[in-house]
Amino acid sequence: MSATIAAGVITPPSIEYSQLCPMLLVFGLAVAGVLVEAFVPRQARRGIHLVLTLGGLAAAFVLTIVVASSKSLFRDHAAGHVAAMGAVAVDRPTLFIQGTILVLAFVSVLLIAESSHDVSSFAAQAAAIPGSAEEREGLLAGITHTEVYPLTMFAVGGMLLFPAANDLLTMFVALEVLSLPLYLLCGLARRRRLLSQEAAMKYFLLGAFSSAFFLFGIALLYGFAGSVRLSAIAAAASSDTGSTTLLLAGLALVGLGLLFKIGAVPFHGWKPDVYQGAPTPVTALMASCTVVSAFGALLRVFYVAFGQLTWDWRPAMWTIAILTMVAGALIAITQTDVKRLLAYSSIAHAGFILTGVIAATAAGLSASLFYLAAYGFTTIGAFAVVTLVRDPAGEAAHLSQWAGLGKRSPLVAGVFAFFLLAFAGIPLTSGFTGKFAVFQAAVAGGAVPLVIVGVLSSAIAAFFYVRVIVLMFFSDPAPDAPSVVTPSVFTSAAVVLGVVATVVLGVVPQPLLGLASHAASQLFVR
Amino acid sequence: MSHLTTLAATTAAGPGAASITQNLVFWVLAVISVTAGVGMVLARRAVHCALMLAIVMLSLAVLYALAGAPFLAFVQVIVYTGAVLMLFLFVLMLVGVSSADSIVETIKGQRLAAGVVGTGMLILLALGIGHGAIGGARPLTSRNGSGNVSGIADLIFTKYVFPFEVTSALLITAALGAMVLAHRERTTPKPTQRQLSRQRIAGSHPTPLPGPGTYAQHNSVDMPAMLPDGTPSELSVSPVITRRGLSSQEAGGPPPGQVEAPGKQEARP
Amino acid sequence: MTTVAATGVQHAAWLMLAFPLFGAVVLLLGGRRTDRWGHLLGVAAPLAAFGYGLACFFALLSYPAAGRSRDLHLFSWIPVGGFRVSIGMLMDPLSLSFVLLITGVGSLIHIYSVGYMAHDTDRRRFFGYLNLFIAAMLLLVLSDNYLGLYVGWEGVGLASYLLIGFWQFKPTAAVAAKKAFIANRVGDAGLSLAIMLMFATFGTVNFSGVFARAHEAGPGVMAALGLLLLLGACGKSAQLPLQSWLLDAMEGPTPVSALIHAATMVTAGVYLIVRSNVIFDLSSTARLGVQVVGAVTLLFGGIIACAKDDIKKSLAGSTMSQIGYMFLAAGLGPAGYGLAIGLLLAHGFFKANLFLGAGSVMHGMDDEVNMRRYGGLARLMPVTAATFGLAYLAIIGIPGFSGFFTKDPIIEAAFSKGGVSGALLGTAALIGAGLTAFYMTRMVLMTFFGKRRWEDQAAAAAAGAGQEGEAEAPHQQPHPHESPQVMLWPMILLAIGSVGAGAFLATGDRLVNFLAPVTRTPAAPPGIVGPYGLGALGLALVAVAAAWWMYGRREVPAVAPAGGVLVVAARKDLYGDAFNESVLMRPGQWLTRLSVYFDNRGVDGLVNTFAATVGGASGRLRKVQTGFVRSYALAMFFGAALLVGALLLVRL
Repeated sequence: MSATIAAGVITPPSIEYSQLCPMLLVFGLAVAGVLVEAFVPRQARRGIHLVLTLGGLAAAFVLTIVVASSKSLFRDHAAGHVAAMGAVAVDRPTLFIQGTILVLAFVSVLLIAESSHDVSSFAAQAAAIPGSAEEREGLLAGITHTEVYPLTMFAVGGMLLFPAANDLLTMFVALEVLSLPLYLLCGLARRRRLLSQEAAMKYFLLGAFSSAFFLFGIALLYGFAGSVRLSAIAAAASSDTGSTTLLLAGLALVGLGLLFKIGAVPFHGWKPDVYQGAPTPVTALMASCTVVSAFGALLRVFYVAFGQLTWDWRPAMWTIAILTMVAGALIAITQTDVKRLLAYSSIAHAGFILTGVIAATAAGLSASLFYLAAYGFTTIGAFAVVTLVRDPAGEAAHLSQWAGLGKRSPLVAGVFAFFLLAFAGIPLTSGFTGKFAVFQAAVAGGAVPLVIVGVLSSAIAAFFYVRVIVLMFFSDPAPDAPSVVTPSVFTSAAVVLGVVATVVLGVVPQPLLGLASHAASQLFVR
Repeated sequence: MSHLTTLAATTAAGPGAASITQNLVFWVLAVISVTAGVGMVLARRAVHCALMLAIVMLSLAVLYALAGAPFLAFVQVIVYTGAVLMLFLFVLMLVGVSSADSIVETIKGQRLAAGVVGTGMLILLALGIGHGAIGGARPLTSRNGSGNVSGIADLIFTKYVFPFEVTSALLITAALGAMVLAHRERTTPKPTQRQLSRQRIAGSHPTPLPGPGTYAQHNSVDMPAMLPDGTPSELSVSPVITRRGLSSQEAGGPPPGQVEAPGKQEARP
Repeated sequence: MTTVAATGVQHAAWLMLAFPLFGAVVLLLGGRRTDRWGHLLGVAAPLAAFGYGLACFFALLSYPAAGRSRDLHLFSWIPVGGFRVSIGMLMDPLSLSFVLLITGVGSLIHIYSVGYMAHDTDRRRFFGYLNLFIAAMLLLVLSDNYLGLYVGWEGVGLASYLLIGFWQFKPTAAVAAKKAFIANRVGDAGLSLAIMLMFATFGTVNFSGVFARAHEAGPGVMAALGLLLLLGACGKSAQLPLQSWLLDAMEGPTPVSALIHAATMVTAGVYLIVRSNVIFDLSSTARLGVQVVGAVTLLFGGIIACAKDDIKKSLAGSTMSQIGYMFLAAGLGPAGYGLAIGLLLAHGFFKANLFLGAGSVMHGMDDEVNMRRYGGLARLMPVTAATFGLAYLAIIGIPGFSGFFTKDPIIEAAFSKGGVSGALLGTAALIGAGLTAFYMTRMVLMTFFGKRRWEDQAAAAAAGAGQEGEAEAPHQQPHPHESPQVMLWPMILLAIGSVGAGAFLATGDRLVNFLAPVTRTPAAPPGIVGPYGLGALGLALVAVAAAWWMYGRREVPAVAPAGGVLVVAARKDLYGDAFNESVLMRPGQWLTRLSVYFDNRGVDGLVNTFAATVGGASGRLRKVQTGFVRSYALAMFFGAALLVGALLLVRL
């Protein structure tokens, strides 16, 4: 190296384009989407965006499968390959996570694409002041922000990179790349715009706050190991170099940044507010893809970089998992807004997945992978149903408005009840399978008290899920009850996909479980 | 403390080469930048904050230079102190240079708790970093080779080329986001010059509107001009800015939230 | 007996489940679009399943007796770690007997329903539920493990709930549905506890796995398992103490009563016990429990049936009583399993026949159910009367008919158990035979013979006021008429079954031997005609005479007379509801009051405190979510400090 530098020549980096192609495709199409915004007349934009976004996500998914089935990548039982000069890891768990993200993002984009006049969730003009005449003009002109598509693609690109990042610097960049579009998207709600803007602001401020912690943690870890590569940190941690305070403090702060993204208690404050304020399709995107991506990164960091320190981080992570499960389930009980309820439920579920993460075994990894995929579908489906129940002011999110829904729209209420039962973990739904898998892994990892807490909080959680079901089916509708709109093919497809995935993964979970355990068999590449 | 000194020295010029000058500069700048940073958070006026931030940036630039990264130091000065901060200041000037935050705390115990937790965190980090062993970090000069620029280029374009390129996605997103949040598309045809002039003659103010009372009492545009009888002129301040010193009712203007009413704007050619 | 993988036609046995499930999905999701042809699909689905079941049955017959247990592995459900539940289907003599009963009788009742529900606007939905029921019931009997059985168990419960409350505009129907649901929950809790105990003890819930390792468990565990299974069976089969829901369940449409609440679902408890025969064989305590439940319920149901004026409720009491016989037989151990299934199959025919006959009568009488307003219908409904009469002869055990071949051996077996208990059980069974003859004769006389009480409109209107659950406004005088062909043919076919099934099954112990691989019945079961069987016959004839004395010889009053203590008690379901209320509900309320009283001293460890604690904690925690970013940030900061501190302290 020094010789080349002395000569003033830099050897060009080698980039494994074939292994990175899904990610590069998504980023490329995001840029193409921006060009569409710049040069294509407004009427034609949506169609082109749909083709680019949906087609791109589908193509990226196919490419992911191609990469995953590549013989050369996993030759001689290799766990994978570290590509792009050590910045990106391509291994089986990552590919599983990326595939999951791409499928879930596809379904979320179906929700985002819903544009029949009543159901579109995005503001006509984000720059117009809420309640002003300009806003009315924009609404009357029938325009909508089509920038949401490239923004979504950028976010998805960041989500793909986040769990694949093999060094903390790349991980930080990916974190920002996935977060920034989400901050923007959160503020673009068509109805209740002040709430939406407030949510975006909160998410941005707290996100920046957590990013600062994350970055500080990276600095401390760099100080400890002299490198930001996860494997180098692991190597430095295992070679006894004396004081490890920098390592541990760095671990705590990097962990904080990741736990913030999954919404673990006490870093969960943003979640209910943001989930409630954001446009519901964006909430669905965040509740599924972001969570999957953040868990992917969390798994990689804790399994690869801190895999030797299990005994150090386990007590703290135990506490956080317990807090997350219990607080999520507890606070959800007194919620009166459907989206907030689902947000707290998402917090509780993050706690359940954490029990799988804490096991720090291949079984824990595969159980977490399965849970993430299963939960993602169910949660998108649930939010899709939320977009359908509307009153003149937009979505009717208050629970009292959902009373008696089962009597007027039995199908929609039935589907929602089914999703809630899946969240509660009733057998023959994917929720049961996932919970069973993570708890099993946790028990095998010796975390029996954790599982007991998990089961107890599931019971508490089941209470409020059932409460909603009872409300929908056994109460009389309010006089100002909202109506259920007939969705276009996009939302219907998202709901149907959610139902099908929830049923199939509950009744015949074996193929996906097998895939997850195959993906997890060799853990992460180092 | 000795640990920290070693830390500073190690990062500065490598274990053997810690000179007294370097140590001295490090410590002085450390104190200055941390003080400025704390000041930035505590200052009530936005302009003061911006200036404090400039001090932090400049201190950092000097520290970079001291650590053997002159290129980084100059970029820091040019980009952050030069460009970014100046933009901040422009905006601050536009919205009123002496605008200040409300510092009334409504949450009970918030400040006390924040203070306690902050102190605790400080102690913990001091303990952690103070006892920390710096491993593996090499002096920056070892990467510099034929110069700081080529050293950085080597890192950016080989080892970290992927994150570097992905950063572009961040920039594009930021630009796109700015457009989304700030740009309002026209939904009506743009009024022609003729329409505008007609409107103006037909309106109540054919003459140009009075300028703001800048320099009358304060040097910013949010000060209304005084009419001959001593009352403030409601027309003298751009409707996008909150008038200073007067509630909107006193100034006779519309309540906030309607300040962008279209008729109002068209009255100001 | 070893289980072999299924081959040949049985290899696709899942089709049996798929047909009705497909029908249910299409009919329930298809909406109004399928209204026109929905009932046809609804009938085709169980018929197809019946055809396939028949094919599987003959395939099974072609195997040697020892190899008649075929397992079809479908897939592994959640193969995580050491946990492994393979979902599969078990085809053996027991399950296929049930399949033929369910799909055969089920198909006939489906066909009957085409006519019975012809004027109901929601006929399609009705068929959707019926198909759902058939699918769930088939899953229940075909599953090769307790988990699958449980899913089917819950499925039939759901279908039953939906069908009892089918006419949900009637408040009584809605309440009855809810009652059935809750009573069944108690039983289901028993079953699910049994399955959990099984998994904890044996590490598997597969029939073969559990039975293979059953002898390893201690007697206490086996007794607990057996009693928990019995609790589950009691709930589903309406046996004491969970009997109260069945009488109210008659609010459902009559085909539902015939299919679910007479022929198939309520016999699931018997299936469960016979299927778990290995467990019951190992625990005399559990067997005793089954015997007692059966004997008490057969008397209980019979007494209720004697006093009810509502034709369907009287039949429901009869069903309870007959299932009591089956329980009694099953409780007798290896000697009785085959007999229980024999009575079950025969009962499936004649009770379905009786219900369909009752439905036919109601169809012609404007849905009147009070027998005191019937009378003299034999002339007007000859086919209904004839088929009903044949089923009547079958149930009371006239020689040559089904009941004689299937019920009398149970009485014999009870006596031959020996000892005091045998004598007691046998006597109960004997008295039950007399009761059966009495209430059935009463029913036939009041319905088909005597004066045409429905002609006296004024009397009917006056009677309307004081009758149980009958408070209709005076209506048009009914014009009883024979039902349409589509309703008659199923009744005729069932009548043939009622007459012949018993002889067919009992000749040369055909069924007992057929089932032997499953039930391990000793080679020589008690004969059909013994001293006690003849005693039962004699008692039955006396009871017929008594009934004729009371209801045939003299006029039946249109208003029920006051009656004695026993009659009043029987009319009130022998205080079943009052019992529930006073023994379960009231003490529950007292307990609640007591716990509220002791709440201050912290003794209240019940649900309320927990809920209140949870709710209170939730309310308090909720306040943390202020909506201010700075307080969230503070919480994060606090968490960060704790996290850093905790991690640093670990190493200090």
